[in-house]
Amino acid sequence: MNTAVIFGVLLVLMITGMPISISLGLTVLTFLYTMTQVPIESVAMKLFTGIEKFEIMAIPFFLLAGNFLTSGGVARRMIRFAVTMVGHWPGGLGLAGVMACAMFAAISGSSPACVVAVGSILLPAMIKQGYPPRFGAGVITTSGALGILIPPSICMVMFAVATNTSIGALFMAGVIPGLALALTLGGVTWWRAKKNGYPRSPKASWAERLHAFRESFWGLFLIVVVMGGIYTGVFTPTEAAAMSAIYAFIVAVFVYKDMGVKDVRRVLLSSANMSAMLLYIITNAVMFSFILTNEQIPQALSNWLLANGFGVIAFLMAVNIVLLLAGNFMEPASIVLIFAPILFPVAVKLGINPVHFGIIMVVNMEVGMCHPPVGLNLYVASGITKMGITELTVAVWPWLLSMLAFLVLVTYWPGLSIWLPRTMGLM
Amino acid sequence: MKFLDEFEEWFITSLMAGATIVIFLAVIHRYLSALPIPGLQNWLVSLDVSWAQELCIIMFVWMAKFGAAYGVRTGIHVGVDVLINRLEAKNRARFVLFGLLAGASFTGIVAALGAEFVWNAGAHHAALQAFGMPLGDIPEGGTTPDLEWPKWIVYSAVPLGSSLMCFRFLQVALNFVRSGELPHHDHSHVDGLDDDAASGAKA
Repeated sequence: MNTAVIFGVLLVLMITGMPISISLGLTVLTFLYTMTQVPIESVAMKLFTGIEKFEIMAIPFFLLAGNFLTSGGVARRMIRFAVTMVGHWPGGLGLAGVMACAMFAAISGSSPACVVAVGSILLPAMIKQGYPPRFGAGVITTSGALGILIPPSICMVMFAVATNTSIGALFMAGVIPGLALALTLGGVTWWRAKKNGYPRSPKASWAERLHAFRESFWGLFLIVVVMGGIYTGVFTPTEAAAMSAIYAFIVAVFVYKDMGVKDVRRVLLSSANMSAMLLYIITNAVMFSFILTNEQIPQALSNWLLANGFGVIAFLMAVNIVLLLAGNFMEPASIVLIFAPILFPVAVKLGINPVHFGIIMVVNMEVGMCHPPVGLNLYVASGITKMGITELTVAVWPWLLSMLAFLVLVTYWPGLSIWLPRTMGLM
Repeated sequence: MKFLDEFEEWFITSLMAGATIVIFLAVIHRYLSALPIPGLQNWLVSLDVSWAQELCIIMFVWMAKFGAAYGVRTGIHVGVDVLINRLEAKNRARFVLFGLLAGASFTGIVAALGAEFVWNAGAHHAALQAFGMPLGDIPEGGTTPDLEWPKWIVYSAVPLGSSLMCFRFLQVALNFVRSGELPHHDHSHVDGLDDDAASGAKA
């Protein structure tokens, strides 16, 4: 009964369009004042202590690092490198788009920014070479989402924070699925391009490749700083995030010189703005999940599932469907913070590996960015391509379909995610 | 008002930069003090930086509370607007206003709860002490573990930030009633794209 009321109130508040953080908070307050004996002080404490964890502080640092490197200049370097490597294959510029997105989204940490940056540089070039506009739009819209699977990923930090899973293990677990998904999207691009006879670019010499690699190296090295630092134990994840922010600052201002020292203030302010928004959702989500735990809702859910004979397969299927549906209405951060505390205890009880479950959620978020009605990548791509959402939906479907197939693969093949972190001794 | 806007921006920007530098220095310190350099090593080891994590957390908590208020002004707090966006303009405006006022009420309540909490967690004690009044059995409140700062000062980020946020919600609501305009945050802004974006739009 209480469960129905809690979720009913949350749902009603949410569909009025108020910020998700506010609807979470108001749900908690309503519940506290009307239907429980939980002392209000113990919940009020969560307002203060909800985000007092050093792990959470990785989020502002990663955002800062990403913002330093979110510039047209960095995107251009990644694209040039990608074109020299794969441009001579069928659908060369499309393949280069996938590769450039994978690299740029990983270091900038923002899918929509990646779609805009790579899209507005690459799409005009593709059209000039004679690609149909829909093809390019489909490639860029879906590849832009790769960033949340390839570490460093803020979405994974969110999951780690909500479930007390190791950030290092999650990051490592994202590497193979991330590359596999990039290959999948690239494969679809290649196949469609070959079938339709899309143009290739001239093959680059090794000297050009080396030059382009040296240009993009400084940006890509950020991934090494983070992953190497965490893996070797030189840094904790939060320290790695802070170091990557300093590193990104040095690269952006002194190596690439894409921004001057005067731009730093603006980058700091926009990172603070974004982090504060995410931390505000976290604070309220922590209170919300405190209520859920207190009402033993995850426990009731897993008992119900077990009593009705649902196994791992059915549960994961249901998880995917629920998350894909939620992806129709909310952005990734909120989905992870609301659903992870409910679903995670059930998953653990059913014997699903915590890190594997995290990767399933993250891949789900990735798919959610690319399909209507609210996929953020779609909207952003619609802005730069001047295509309507309906036309874009048609444009993305070959890639979206392959992403869904990939989601099934990730869901039912735990080894894909957990082999690497396990082999490296991170879990 | 302009002063408040500028202070808010300056405050969260400095906290962001400050926290990054604090953690950077703490890490550098940890590795430098492991190097066997005579003199330098002794001096570095004698410096205690165990408070760095705590300071970073406190700075980010303050940044989060005041940044959330700044975020109301920049329209970064998003909700599920697919449904209300399909309504006709007049009804949509009602829902938008309802959302803004709900935000103002929630942050207002949190500010009040927070203020009460801070008052009982040592602010009352500190106030009495400052005016030299009898302390009675008013609790002194604790201090933070490493920096040993009074907890009530650290925690006052909640009532202060939340009050500011409440004020911002009301400000945005008033502005919406007057002009029908809402602040909108662009998640896809990328610098250094101007020429390409323009040619992309034309293509």
